[in-house]
Amino acid sequence: MEAKLSKKSKREYGDNLAGFIMSSPALILLIAFLIIPIIYTVYYSFFTYQVVRPDNIKFNALNNYAKLFKDANFYVALKNTIYFTVIVVPVQCILALVLALMVSSKKKGVAVFRTLYYSPQITSMVIIAVLWTILYNSNANTGLINAFLKSIGLQPIDFLNNPKTAMNSIIFMSAWQGAGYQMMIFIAGLNAIPTEQYEAASVDGADWFAKLIYVTLPGLINTIKYVLMITLIQAMKLFTQPYIMTKGGPRNATKTLVFYIYEQGFQKGNFGYACSIATVFFIIVVTLSIVVKRISKTN
Amino acid sequence: MKKVLTTLGVLALGGMLAACGNNAGATKQADASSEGSSQAAESKSADGVTNVTIWSPTDTAAIEAWWVEKIDQWNKENPDIQVKREAIDRADAYAYENKITTATTSGNLPDILYVDGPMVSYYAANGITVPLDSYFPADDLKDFMPSTVQADTYDGKLYAIAPTESSVALFYNKDYLDKAGIPYPSDTDIKQAWTWSQFLDNAKKLTTSDYVGTNIIMDKGEGIIYALGSFFTEAGAQFVSDDGSKADGYVNSDASVKAAEYLNEFIKNGYANLDPVKDEFLNGKAATLLGGSWNIADLEKSNLNWGVSYFPVADDGKAVSPTGDWAAAITKDSKNPDAAGKFLQWAMNSDNIASYASAVAKPASRTSSYDKMEGWDSGARALMKWQLQNTGVSRPRTPSYSVLSTDFSTAMLNIFSGSDAKEELDNVAKNFDENYEMYYKK
Repeated sequence: MEAKLSKKSKREYGDNLAGFIMSSPALILLIAFLIIPIIYTVYYSFFTYQVVRPDNIKFNALNNYAKLFKDANFYVALKNTIYFTVIVVPVQCILALVLALMVSSKKKGVAVFRTLYYSPQITSMVIIAVLWTILYNSNANTGLINAFLKSIGLQPIDFLNNPKTAMNSIIFMSAWQGAGYQMMIFIAGLNAIPTEQYEAASVDGADWFAKLIYVTLPGLINTIKYVLMITLIQAMKLFTQPYIMTKGGPRNATKTLVFYIYEQGFQKGNFGYACSIATVFFIIVVTLSIVVKRISKTN
Repeated sequence: MKKVLTTLGVLALGGMLAACGNNAGATKQADASSEGSSQAAESKSADGVTNVTIWSPTDTAAIEAWWVEKIDQWNKENPDIQVKREAIDRADAYAYENKITTATTSGNLPDILYVDGPMVSYYAANGITVPLDSYFPADDLKDFMPSTVQADTYDGKLYAIAPTESSVALFYNKDYLDKAGIPYPSDTDIKQAWTWSQFLDNAKKLTTSDYVGTNIIMDKGEGIIYALGSFFTEAGAQFVSDDGSKADGYVNSDASVKAAEYLNEFIKNGYANLDPVKDEFLNGKAATLLGGSWNIADLEKSNLNWGVSYFPVADDGKAVSPTGDWAAAITKDSKNPDAAGKFLQWAMNSDNIASYASAVAKPASRTSSYDKMEGWDSGARALMKWQLQNTGVSRPRTPSYSVLSTDFSTAMLNIFSGSDAKEELDNVAKNFDENYEMYYKK
């Protein structure tokens, strides 16, 4: 009995070892570029650290956190990040689902549209942000959208320089850019639904809407959960668009948490303080992911 | 047997990966030495050759060509000190500075680093750059523009040396001024320059549905404090205290608020765009431009019917103009500061500064260089030179400059989009004082 056990555990050990060896490339990368930086970030968040003076860092206990919770800019950034996420996640996911339903049929020429909708995704966000900055330009002589508004007799809108419209403008272009990727995942999910289910539904006399509600959506439920999760995490990390298009302005309207971390850490050199914001941000994202996962599981 | 095979497979795969890794490493190293990165510069090679690496922002074609020619010449004449330059893209207002920050933390700075004038104090105060006094003695410095020496000095020592200067003046489109019936402002007598009131009034008259009255936004980063800062000085304000340690009561003084509100008149009323497209003035989309000395070359090549006048003066006649340019410094990571110093002495001699400044049509920092440069005794260039010698004021010198510059540009952009000027400038003062207190207070 005992011998058998030890033989078994030895074998398990061997299997484990093989498993570890096989996953080691990924594990090493994860440890080097994720785990260690996370530990360092938390560690430095307890120090006064001017970014170019790693030789002169001073332990300050919880000072950074005390400052953080009194920092109006932090709350503005948190509010902006939440606003962006709450709007962009449903908009982008529904848009992606509608696009996927439209292009998943086997009709002729549909592949062209599939490629078109996906194409913003393969372009760098930096380039897209620069292009949209020009599209959004407030001057009707240079901004394409305002030139159009002017031609149909409307007043030009100062999309990116008005605090009321800046974030919504970024949300719109982000959803436009991002939806192609989620669309691809939805298409994969749609293809995984057995055609027999649709045939059975047809036999029962279901129209397209009933099929959508009773066959397609239940069949997609796991895909939807996955898409929601990745879109949520991606949305929380918003940085490129405000960095390129608005520099966090106007009047802090597009300053997100990640942008604020960059501003504090790199532009102003407050590295320790930036680490404390990053730590709080990390806790928020992880908590949110766990909560979303729990909710989607119980459903 | 199966297990053995699996293990072998794993090992083989691992070996392959490792081999890939090694290869990649080797190629990278080869790249590094051929490009002459700092790793290569660190080691004095066996044949006694010292390597010196330079980082500077990617420049115009003429300056890139100047670098190639001069480095070739130096390397031929000095086989024991081999110089290499890496052009770093300055794609965005602060991208180059971010790269320096990263390199500082990892100890990978080059021997010679080009830094923007007002950042000299920041790098010096943080020990990133070393003094250059031994390479540029006081006698030699007398040849440089006063604003150059002032901007490149911190705590009584010279920490950088700039080959060129810069100035900002008011460019105007003659056709548009004619159309609006506005007489050309003078380019030979500053008493005939546009005052604040005239500038605002004319910008209003010049604004049409096809083009705006003026362009005052150079970029949304450093360009704000650089080009617009002189309005604050003209209003009688000062950004920080003389010793560079305090901003409260300076950047948020009544005079500062007045200057900020004045500038907002242009944006608020639509006489100037907050987001001007590239080359707005050059393409006839703006009637006037607060433009730099570096704009002259492009304007001369264009078909535009343009003229130039002084940077607008205060209504009481007080005249100030922006100055400053990128300067070369030697870093703490340099293993051979003396070799780097020797190269700088040569690169910054009167002849080389003359050819460098001519290549980019920028005003030279050495007075003696002007004798070797053509076209600086009349027109736009003469005006720039005159401003440098008479009305030029350098940007505030303080180790907390980056906080001041970032927050000041944010504040101005906020004011331009409707925020209260006093509130915004109070915020700049608060953040600046906090930063100075935390890192530099003695």
